[in-house]
Amino acid sequence: MSRADLKFKVIDILLVILMILPLVTAIVLTILISPPSQGVEITGALILFEIPMPLQNLPITEAQINSWLVMLSIFFLCLYMTHGIKDRPTLKRQHFAEWIVEKCEGMVGENMGEYFKGFAPFIASIIALSAFSSLLSLLGLFPPTSDLNVVAGWAILVFILITYYKMKCGPLNYLKSFSEPVAFLTPLNVVSEVATPVSMAFRHYGNVLSGTVISVLLATALQGLSSLVLGWAPDFIASIPLFQVGIPGVLSLYFDIFSGCLQAYIFAMLTMLYVSGAFNIDLYEKRRAKRKLKKQQKAEKIISEEK
Amino acid sequence: MQPSEIISVNIWQIVVSLLNLLIIFFILKKFLFKPVKKTIESRQAKIDEDYAQAESARADAQAEAEVLKAQLDGARGKADEILNEASALADARKKQAEAEARAEADTIIRQAKAEAELEKKKAQSEIKEQIVDVSLVLAERLVEREINEKDHHSLIDSFIENIPLGTGDEPNEK
Repeated sequence: MSRADLKFKVIDILLVILMILPLVTAIVLTILISPPSQGVEITGALILFEIPMPLQNLPITEAQINSWLVMLSIFFLCLYMTHGIKDRPTLKRQHFAEWIVEKCEGMVGENMGEYFKGFAPFIASIIALSAFSSLLSLLGLFPPTSDLNVVAGWAILVFILITYYKMKCGPLNYLKSFSEPVAFLTPLNVVSEVATPVSMAFRHYGNVLSGTVISVLLATALQGLSSLVLGWAPDFIASIPLFQVGIPGVLSLYFDIFSGCLQAYIFAMLTMLYVSGAFNIDLYEKRRAKRKLKKQQKAEKIISEEK
Repeated sequence: MQPSEIISVNIWQIVVSLLNLLIIFFILKKFLFKPVKKTIESRQAKIDEDYAQAESARADAQAEAEVLKAQLDGARGKADEILNEASALADARKKQAEAEARAEADTIIRQAKAEAELEKKKAQSEIKEQIVDVSLVLAERLVEREINEKDHHSLIDSFIENIPLGTGDEPNEK
């Protein structure tokens, strides 16, 4: 093995380690900070410390730590997948990276149209962040997506994008769109406008959280059931978790893997639909052509005046 | 350390999460999409180049083949021409040789004929003389008298002249 090959391998291994390290850190951190459980409890994220800020203190919670660690992981995953990328692919991960990129661009092109081609990385980042965050619960960590603030941040970013693209056709047109089709529907239109990010945030957050809640409830119920069945026996038999074996795993398959990925997909899909639906490309083109014409006329006028 | 409320809204947390998404967007854009797209584009460019090269090579080959074909056609035409010329020449030679041979044969025949004629004439005159001699002897015997040999000759000559000769020539009209 030549020196270059060795270097390549070493960097590869380093990247893999760096990719896994944040997750290990998260697990260790969770073990260290989680208080001893006191029966059935459904709470939000643990607050590690608070940073004083104007308006409201910023609590640094498990959700935030975990989402930062997920981001680090994704960053090193990207580096790993594009490491040793060549025109003639020899590595499987390059095929995978290309598959991801092409799939995302295809999806964005299909749902949003040619104009929004640059949105592919954004949609990919929504899917990646959301899916990986939800999948953290597989490792027994606190999934950041079950914290309302995290998902609300994404939804607000989407809302900003929607508004930006609506404004692009002129602020007046944007304001006018609230009074359509009839003027007295304006309050309802405003409500529906605001409801978009709220519904997006709560849908995602609620789905992930409800999975956790149901899992906890079911685990408790199964515990009760096993102690009911084996309650007559001596202590060491009664402590056998008879029904807790296997059944929660099947539920976890649905709530953690399927639901997590599905919610990520739904969030990305809604983002694409809302943003592309907010932009009236015909109107935009018309306005731009008009403005161009006006500019030209102005320039001609100036030229003729100079003469 | 206490857990937060299950539904708690914190503006700064929302802002942090919003920034998180933006950061991930830039990370993915810079570290995944950019290199991958660059690679795909450069590969596409290479493929296009290869295709163009192949196309031009094919066009070259076709042009060359056409040139060669034209050359072959020309050569074939030339060969035909040469063949035609040669056969024409051979024909002409053959005809000439034939004509020469015929002429030679004609002269030979003519010479032979002339010789034959000469022989005939010679033979005729010989025969004539012999006949004259014979008839003279005969006449001497018959007549038993001396006749002037000269008168005799003229007499017999005139007689012989009037004899039509059986072989060959037209009868003498003297």
